[in-house]
Amino acid sequence: MNGKLTGTSAVLLYLITAGMMIFVLCPIVLIMTISFSDGYFVSFPPTGFTTSWYVSVFQNSEFTSALLFSFVLAVGTTILSLLLGVPAAFAIVRGNFPGRTLCKGLLLSPLIFPVLITGLALLQLFSSYGWSTVKLNLLIAHTVVTSPYVIRTVLTSLELVNPTLEEAARTLGATRWQTFRRVIFPQIAPGIASGAIFCFMVSFDNYPVSMWLADSANTPVPVVLYRQIGTVFDPSVATMSSIIIGLSAAVVLILDRLVGLRRAMAM
Amino acid sequence: MKAPYSETDHHPGAAAAQPRETPGAWLHRQFVGSPNWMILPLLAFLVFFFFLPSIKLMLFSVMTQDAQGRIGAPLTLEHYIRFFQVSLYTDVLWTTIRISIITSVIAAILAYPVAIVLVRGNIAVTRIVTLIIIAPLAVSVVVRAYGWQLILGNGPTGLLNYVLLNLGLISEPLALLFSPVAVVVGSLHIFFPMMVLPLASALGKIDPNLEQAGRTLGAPAWKVFLRITFPLSMPGLVAGVTLVFSLSAGSYVIPALIGGPSSQMLGNMAEQQIIAVYDWPFGATIATILVIIVLAINALSMRLLGGRNFREKQK
Repeated sequence: MNGKLTGTSAVLLYLITAGMMIFVLCPIVLIMTISFSDGYFVSFPPTGFTTSWYVSVFQNSEFTSALLFSFVLAVGTTILSLLLGVPAAFAIVRGNFPGRTLCKGLLLSPLIFPVLITGLALLQLFSSYGWSTVKLNLLIAHTVVTSPYVIRTVLTSLELVNPTLEEAARTLGATRWQTFRRVIFPQIAPGIASGAIFCFMVSFDNYPVSMWLADSANTPVPVVLYRQIGTVFDPSVATMSSIIIGLSAAVVLILDRLVGLRRAMAM
Repeated sequence: MKAPYSETDHHPGAAAAQPRETPGAWLHRQFVGSPNWMILPLLAFLVFFFFLPSIKLMLFSVMTQDAQGRIGAPLTLEHYIRFFQVSLYTDVLWTTIRISIITSVIAAILAYPVAIVLVRGNIAVTRIVTLIIIAPLAVSVVVRAYGWQLILGNGPTGLLNYVLLNLGLISEPLALLFSPVAVVVGSLHIFFPMMVLPLASALGKIDPNLEQAGRTLGAPAWKVFLRITFPLSMPGLVAGVTLVFSLSAGSYVIPALIGGPSSQMLGNMAEQQIIAVYDWPFGATIATILVIIVLAINALSMRLLGGRNFREKQK
């Protein structure tokens, strides 16, 4: 690290930071605490200790099937985003067509567009064409939202790849595909991995797009949870939330192991 | 590698524009000799599933819906006039802008200390702080909003009310939930990382020797911050404020779950118009206003950042 923090200003900075860490963790820790409460209503302080909510939540087929649905949807979204995104990022960095900067802006633009409105626009599109395959609609909609993450992470890592290595491989007789697989891919693999993990996370957590497009047979887990929050007042909602928190934590740890958090966040 | 010949029929005109090159050679150069074509699948996907639907939705805002629900001619501005004439709607617009501004400002103020610790603190601390800042990003907004419901819960069993009552600071439980304050607190929680990350990245690029020089020349810590660190961190601040403002303006879940009737935002109103009233043109009007706000903020921020880079290059 460059430059050290010392003196009273350092104490102040650490104190504020500690306060913010408590602020950030508070709701998450509270949910996890209440998920073990044996009261019939959510209240603070939690009473008793029981794991029975976990048992009942895993017996709740609405929740478990939503969990499975969200998982499959997130995996599908990730695969489709990578299939579309990695070649496109490659074309922007290695291509020679005019308007590459504009194209890059266009491909990244779903990131700044309000996600809720993306979902609404797609609801309109799908209903006007009469596309009633909800699974496919959700896959398309989630991919619109997640593909920019692939573009961003893969672009960043492709820009660091030295083009002379590719030229050397080509001069030595490697085909384009061999050059990609043996020379480029190993160098951009961390970028692809973090792009993939971002896609998975964003799709798995998404509510504002799924809310428009889901139906009762195809419900991702945030939609089920949202409905439960308004209708169920026992700790089972906290238990479902805790399970989602646990899964999210696992994904973050995977990202940290594979790529490193700071690198993944481009810090 | 095989050339995707099916893609080649789209460019006969372009080939003719280059007389020295045979069409075959042009096609070979574009599709076999270069990766240019690889942008086409994603570009086509986004044109069909993002750009065109978004534009069409925004066009709905100047169209009329007949009794059968069909949307089309005549073109009209009546939905915009209605939006800006009825105080119920403009109130929601101002609430949206106010909540987004307050959230961005508070986030910026609180993010500086955290970002400075992230780039200058000792390694063990920065590792923990990074993890705590980033990990909640992976948790669904719905879950985090639920957490704030439990903390701010009205009545004596909300966490905050329970603590305050037991400390004797209040004698009656406060009505914290379902207020604009609750929405700001919740939004701050969700969007705080979006402020810290660009800020930390900008702070990390500042040459520590500059601050060192300031201190050696006798400037107190606050002056070093105001005169050296703060101006140099501007790109990160602008990027962070833009992100937090755009994301909070487009919120749906937070106002719906922890905001009351007085703190509903544009997104909630658009959803109501579409799902409950089935008024697509008016819903599209609200959506368009939201999109214009977000795009304007982003354009402004790009100008600020772009102009800055330009000046730096000129030096």
